[in-house]
Amino acid sequence: MQISGLRYGSKLFDLVEFPYAKNLSGGATKEDIEELMKPTGKIVVKPYFAGGVGKKGKAGLVRIAKSVDEALKAKEDLYFATHKHGNKSIKANGVVFEEFVPTDSDMEIYFSITDSTSIRKAIFTLAIEGGVDIEDLPAEKKAIIPIDPLIGIKSFDITNALNDLGCPEQYVSPLVQHLPKLWDLYDNYGVSTLELNPIRMKQNGKSYLPVACDLKAAFDQDNPDYKRIGLPQSIFIGETTKFESEINKLRTYQGQSDVVEMNPKGSIIPFMFGGGANSAATETLGTKAIFASDFGGNPPYEKMYEISKIVFNHFYDHASVILIIGGKANNTDIYVTFKGVFDALRDHIAVNGKKPIYTVIGRGGPNLIQGMFYAKDILDTLKLPYKMFGYDTSMIQTLEYAKRIDDYWLKEGREIYTKNYM
Amino acid sequence: MKHISSKPFPYYVGIYSLEELINKDTRVCVINILGSESKKVTPVSHEYSGGNIVAGVQYGRTGVLETKIGDIPVFKSIREVMRAGINFDTGVVYLPPTAVCQAVSELIQYNNNLKTIILVTEKISTKDSMMIRYMAQEASVDVIGANCLGVANVWDTIRVGGALGGDKPGETLKKGSIAVHSNSGNFTTTISEYLRTSGFGVSSAVSSGKDIYIHFALPEFLFAAQNDPRTKAIALYVEPGGYYEKIALDMIRDRKFSFTKPIVVCVTGRWKKDLTRSVGHAGALAGGGDDALSKEKWFDEYFGVPVFNPDKPEVSKLGVRISSIQDFPKAMKAVYDKIDEKPDFESSGDLSLKLWLSDGFFKLPKDLDLPVVKALSPYDEQIKEINKHIGATYLRQNMRNKSGASRMDAKTQVTEIHGKTVLELSKLTIEEMVYFNIAKILPEKSQIDTINLLLNLLLKVDKEKMQAKEYAKQHGASPNAYLAAPLLTIGNNEYIKKTKRYSTMIINLIREHGIDEKTKEYPAEVIKFIEKEFFSKQAVEENPLGTYLLDHVKGTKTKNEAVLLAQFIIKLSEDKKSQIKDKFEFMLAALSLSLFWKPMLEKRISRETCEDALAYFYVIANLVAFSVIDKNKNKYWQELTQMKPSKSTESFTNNIFKILFNREPSDIELTELKYLIGLTLSNGPGTISAKGAKESVSAKNYIPTAFAGFMLNTGFAHGGNGFEAVDFLLQKFDKKTLKNPGDKNHSIDLENIATDTSKKYIEFKKNSKESGNLSYAKIPCINHPVFKGKDVNYDPREQFVSKELTDKGIYNVFLDFYHKLVISLFHEGATKNIFCVNVDAVISVIALKLLWNDYVNNKISDLDMQEIVFILFLLGRAVGVTSEIIDHRSRGTDMDCRTPQSELSFVL
Repeated sequence: MQISGLRYGSKLFDLVEFPYAKNLSGGATKEDIEELMKPTGKIVVKPYFAGGVGKKGKAGLVRIAKSVDEALKAKEDLYFATHKHGNKSIKANGVVFEEFVPTDSDMEIYFSITDSTSIRKAIFTLAIEGGVDIEDLPAEKKAIIPIDPLIGIKSFDITNALNDLGCPEQYVSPLVQHLPKLWDLYDNYGVSTLELNPIRMKQNGKSYLPVACDLKAAFDQDNPDYKRIGLPQSIFIGETTKFESEINKLRTYQGQSDVVEMNPKGSIIPFMFGGGANSAATETLGTKAIFASDFGGNPPYEKMYEISKIVFNHFYDHASVILIIGGKANNTDIYVTFKGVFDALRDHIAVNGKKPIYTVIGRGGPNLIQGMFYAKDILDTLKLPYKMFGYDTSMIQTLEYAKRIDDYWLKEGREIYTKNYM
Repeated sequence: MKHISSKPFPYYVGIYSLEELINKDTRVCVINILGSESKKVTPVSHEYSGGNIVAGVQYGRTGVLETKIGDIPVFKSIREVMRAGINFDTGVVYLPPTAVCQAVSELIQYNNNLKTIILVTEKISTKDSMMIRYMAQEASVDVIGANCLGVANVWDTIRVGGALGGDKPGETLKKGSIAVHSNSGNFTTTISEYLRTSGFGVSSAVSSGKDIYIHFALPEFLFAAQNDPRTKAIALYVEPGGYYEKIALDMIRDRKFSFTKPIVVCVTGRWKKDLTRSVGHAGALAGGGDDALSKEKWFDEYFGVPVFNPDKPEVSKLGVRISSIQDFPKAMKAVYDKIDEKPDFESSGDLSLKLWLSDGFFKLPKDLDLPVVKALSPYDEQIKEINKHIGATYLRQNMRNKSGASRMDAKTQVTEIHGKTVLELSKLTIEEMVYFNIAKILPEKSQIDTINLLLNLLLKVDKEKMQAKEYAKQHGASPNAYLAAPLLTIGNNEYIKKTKRYSTMIINLIREHGIDEKTKEYPAEVIKFIEKEFFSKQAVEENPLGTYLLDHVKGTKTKNEAVLLAQFIIKLSEDKKSQIKDKFEFMLAALSLSLFWKPMLEKRISRETCEDALAYFYVIANLVAFSVIDKNKNKYWQELTQMKPSKSTESFTNNIFKILFNREPSDIELTELKYLIGLTLSNGPGTISAKGAKESVSAKNYIPTAFAGFMLNTGFAHGGNGFEAVDFLLQKFDKKTLKNPGDKNHSIDLENIATDTSKKYIEFKKNSKESGNLSYAKIPCINHPVFKGKDVNYDPREQFVSKELTDKGIYNVFLDFYHKLVISLFHEGATKNIFCVNVDAVISVIALKLLWNDYVNNKISDLDMQEIVFILFLLGRAVGVTSEIIDHRSRGTDMDCRTPQSELSFVL
């Protein structure tokens, strides 16, 4: 769950009264745009992406317009811009017009808060070269300072860091005044990463005001505090597919609802049990895996049934193989989980009809044989073929075998089955 | 700035050697010990560890957690544990995520001797993890987890925290020289299992968790493993996200501590590089440079050799990285060879494909076709044993106020039974409804004749039972009571016992000997058994019904294992000229199995339900027979209860009509009867009628007695105010002017009656209020507490039936009147909005219409009419309650309907 840009970022800044560039939505009138351009004669136009999308500047997706016409032209260009972000291409959903914040020097500030696995504490990172990838900056050009969780960001830590980085003196005091507020945002609203990049120093009378010109925030899904911000849930929807969001609705603290759709056109429905199995199996199955999942953690029957129901609704029709894979479970009741999966399969077929599909199982754990026989009885009744391996077979070999079954099924198995058993 | 630090770390680490992490001296307190997960896992840990859990906390409760080696005392809080003088050094937390931080604080605040906390919980917020780290560091306490399965010290057979090694830790965790550290709880066990196959045991295993904060991470683990004399090598499982591995390897390289033991590491999760959302492990999301590829590189550089190739094993003394966890045994063996060490024990197998179960029909090409092998012990024996099991199985639980059969939608008030609404079910024939309530699916068309055959034959009731009913009726018992009387005499009679016994034997033979459609030759022991149990050596009196059913079994179109075996037994008796012992009961069992075999195999119903199915048929059919108003005047009853096969496959619905109304039904009347029965099937498990049945099941009664339980829990209060509606309508309609309530051209001015009724009602209401009577009688069957409030109100159930009737061209003058009445009441100002006509009205108007002709012709009395309306309700509910009885018998526990003492109160 992430957001980027000021369209919703401004809502966060308002919570702690941190200054940010004024902005307008894509539907702004010419008059509104003119008004925003008045102080500087410039305006920044950025595409709006749902979720957290960075590196827009580098991708040439940020325009500085010097007239209303130029701004509108930029809007036209960027309205449906596509941005390659990670492994996904994301389409823009409109634009945002932002105040151009003038500064009397080229200096821009980078500031972020996150949790560091290196020192196992929250840290803030400060640099006086904004607008760049922080990872690319050499160590001496950035300050990484641990945060005391009880006190928050200490003003003197900021002062010392800015002095060490060579920040012009006139900017130090305004930054020391405003940056610590961001800890309140981080600490109280379920934020897991907060990045302001860049912050520009705007003259404000005789003094200066740090103005955030962009924001990227990630929220901790396990911390409900983010709901207090009141961000519309719809802005996160773009991050999940329909299948993912249906499964996510079943999310509880006991897990089992983490799925990522990998390749909806894949041919293996993989029920993975355990974080390790999730990692290893997704890697082994490659593009054959329709999704990556972790349904471990001893899911109750009702949940496993609901999850499976959703899975079959989405993917049963075109899949070749139902794969149930996991190591030797510690506390997941195999019988309960298999009952959930195969009851859902039976009920799906009862309503939607049977399609040829092969089942491969590799699993160990409590009530294993009861679970396997539950699956066996239902598959026998449905006259669907299957192979079941115990935990004395390598999980990876089972995965490789499932892939080979899938290849065969796609090549000729499905057809042979249809001819003889449908 | 002051930091508490120890050893080579800039932060606090209490453990010097892995041996210290947990061992024989460890004393544990588990928080939320009675929670669902802990309740299952903690006793296994306690027993495996020889009883090291000295206390548990369940907030606000005291008690014990029973284990095989003694009870663990449970206290209300950590403070209470300390006050009881119980000492412990390790706390385990099983709480939901939002409560974990508080529990850590509590453990630290009240126990100065605390050394370690193990956090099993997943999905703890990063903010809470940060605070936990802060508190634990300040208090000098080591934390394992969160989101982990704890720690095992195999040498001391101690496991603390979660369920490492599963429910049989001794099976997987064998004593040896490998220390395991894994980001995945499951892989901690799986890696130990894999290593075991090639002769490597475990010294200690740590499931580290894979949250963003890993409190006992690789640097401190390697440090402790190095100082552990039991450990010769390390097995690691690593996922993307976090710099823990880099820090550990940097510390070794920078000689912050000495580390000389080899590592075999598996890094997975390259595919997670581009994800923006976690799946599985919260902390397994890579940021800048901590993706899987980077981690592989860190280790490869450390080892100085490329990734392990099982075909060309090359390792260094520092170890090697493997690309898949299945390479752990081979790589570890290669590493041990390199350091001149021997495995811990003889290898006991390999990880090759070993097929335990396979379908027996689909031929795969040679390269994919694998032989089924004997599963490793004890699973081989379990497979043998469980092969005998068949049908659905349920977890036993307290079923008081719960049902797996029915539920009511609070919004529409429509009840569902097994996923179908009573509205949908109302469209079925009653025989289909009976079948559905047992089987949870609709019967196939080819099975309908058999269902009717069985139900119709079972209409036969003996004289004594009818006498019990008549006796009760003569003494003024209500219909529910006088129907319960003969039901109670059924007990567990010979019919029920014998058919069940034959069903059980047929299922056993099929399951134990793998009989199916491919069976050509029946094993000799099967034949021997059949001859002993099914055939009689003495002459058996010819039973014409048995012979009739035998022909039916021989000719049935249903083909399944039960039918095939029954047909084989018949053939065997013919070939050997042997006589079948209880021909009638055996054939009943065979036919009943033929009907319920598929839902049993599909795990929709339990084996017990399948075996008992005939008992449910028996009760329902008997109940219909008991329901006759006057058996002496009812020629249909006299014929139908004689068990004559001639008309035995006629529709059971038809026969119900004939028994109740003493005449042949028209098609329209049959449709109306189906609605009457269907709509009353169920109002959910909360109804006192259903409760009566459930409580009787809970007290462990026979099936017919459970039906009597339902009967005894119904009474005059039932049917909403439907009976009042009949009375109300009789006042409005004159039997002289209304000849046929189904004729639209009745020439009665309904609007005029409605207006007149409304005006009178306003007057009545006014007078009642003036006289101070605020609980004055209301017009029955209009308005409904759930559906009120809008300008025009509807009861969706009534709407559904009205539409169905209209679509079928079925008119009902009483319903028409009701619709006009609610509008008139509004127009005349009696109501503030247009009330709904509720579903009870529908039941009343249909019943009244069916009885009207006999009423007009004085064939039935007012009392008879009331009783028939009541009986219709009882029959419908009896069919529906079948599903509750089956459900409660399948899932419930003995006496589970008791009300806990805490919910009872004494009223003065």
